[in-house]
Amino acid sequence: MMDFLAWLEQSGFATWVRESNSLLAYPSVLFLHTVGMGCVAGISALVDLRILGCASEVPLTGLRKTLPYMWAGFWLNTVTGIVLFIIDATTKAVSPVFYTKMTFIAMAIGVCLVQRGVFRDPLLDKRPIEMKGKILAFTSILCWVGAITAGRLLAYVGPGVVSSGGR
Amino acid sequence: MNLANLTHLHLLLNHFPTVGFLIGLGLFLAAIVGKSENLKRASLVIFFLIALLAIPTYLSGKAAQQAITGRPDVPEALIEMHQDSALLALVFMELTGFVAWLGLWQFRRISRPARWNLTAVFLLSIITFGLMARTAIMGGEIRHPEIRTEGTVGSDTEWLKSASIATFVNTTAWAWPLNETIHFIGLSLVLGVVLVVNLRILGVMKNVSFAALHRLLPWGILGFAVNLITGILFFITIPEQYTQNVALHWKVVLMLIAAANVLYFTLFEEAWALGPGDDAPPTAKVIAASTIFLWIGVIYFGRMMPFIGGSF
Repeated sequence: MMDFLAWLEQSGFATWVRESNSLLAYPSVLFLHTVGMGCVAGISALVDLRILGCASEVPLTGLRKTLPYMWAGFWLNTVTGIVLFIIDATTKAVSPVFYTKMTFIAMAIGVCLVQRGVFRDPLLDKRPIEMKGKILAFTSILCWVGAITAGRLLAYVGPGVVSSGGR
Repeated sequence: MNLANLTHLHLLLNHFPTVGFLIGLGLFLAAIVGKSENLKRASLVIFFLIALLAIPTYLSGKAAQQAITGRPDVPEALIEMHQDSALLALVFMELTGFVAWLGLWQFRRISRPARWNLTAVFLLSIITFGLMARTAIMGGEIRHPEIRTEGTVGSDTEWLKSASIATFVNTTAWAWPLNETIHFIGLSLVLGVVLVVNLRILGVMKNVSFAALHRLLPWGILGFAVNLITGILFFITIPEQYTQNVALHWKVVLMLIAAANVLYFTLFEEAWALGPGDDAPPTAKVIAASTIFLWIGVIYFGRMMPFIGGSF
């Protein structure tokens, strides 16, 4: 496994992204990853805040139409995230912070999938929101905060601190 | 921009906060006495815009300091005091701008701001004006020895000291990463609100009225406030890597336009009048698209600071 990761890390593409001075290489991947983060965590958090009772005039049946933009952010970050992983694969693969981040994201996306099922109900706005839904929404916000925190800490804690461009 | 140009910019901008707040305060009092709602709104707009302009005024001040430092005729202590006084004034000015915007938001929503809001704006703007005038006097004395009053230099009374803040962040292992994390969370909040509100205007979820989404705007402003605080904290900690950073210059320019843009959604009829099912007029769509574009630009230049500007 480690051999494969090392091969990935040394591949021409990974080397270019990591070492090129072009703004299109590492800087752009990082930029797109940040925009994607804003789309996913931002839109998801607003939906959660609405479920928790903020801006209650906004119908959830309307708000769910912004979810495709959240998913666009998610797929953008899956792609850019894979690139960021392979350019530093052998280090990331042994970093507990990286797995913490992935766990938070998996949990947050799990909540999104549950919400997606509930949002299909056309009578959604006619009924009060159940306690279960509020607990899920709160969990989702916590998971995004956790994912962002772990993502940031990748540059500071654990193996490979120097390579990530952190302070 | 180099240090000389940034110094010019500081010398130009530094008049706006003091003079602007005086005009805002005058209009505000006239509005209260004359019971004019429009005048009240106008003064709140002035407070908000001046609070935005105060940001580049503060930032360019650090460049002006770097340009002037080391000259024998300029007492370092005086610059240090001017800077700390400016930081305190900035805190109150941004607080005033925030509360003033909230007043405009209430005006839009329920046709008049809450009573507490106007009282808060009044008290905050008086305090801010006092702090700003004090900063301006100290600033003037830096290059005008003829007006320096005896005993000003060295009378150190500031409790919010830039140097202590910088030392704290620099010597505390978790402070910088934590600040970055909060900055990223604020970014997500801003982008989330910007996307949801502007996508409605562009035609996504047309069944929702704009008035309903208007309720989300304070969350965006909250994200902005969080990022202003954390951003200034980065700047205070290592100003050398930011003052001449071209990426930061662009970021601030785009951010100011984007932030002023929120007034379009808070003041004007066009977006507000969009009921369920309504299609927005073309001007509103252009503004909505450019708002999204501007904020993504802010993120771009923020992310590029280490690569274009050489910070980390």
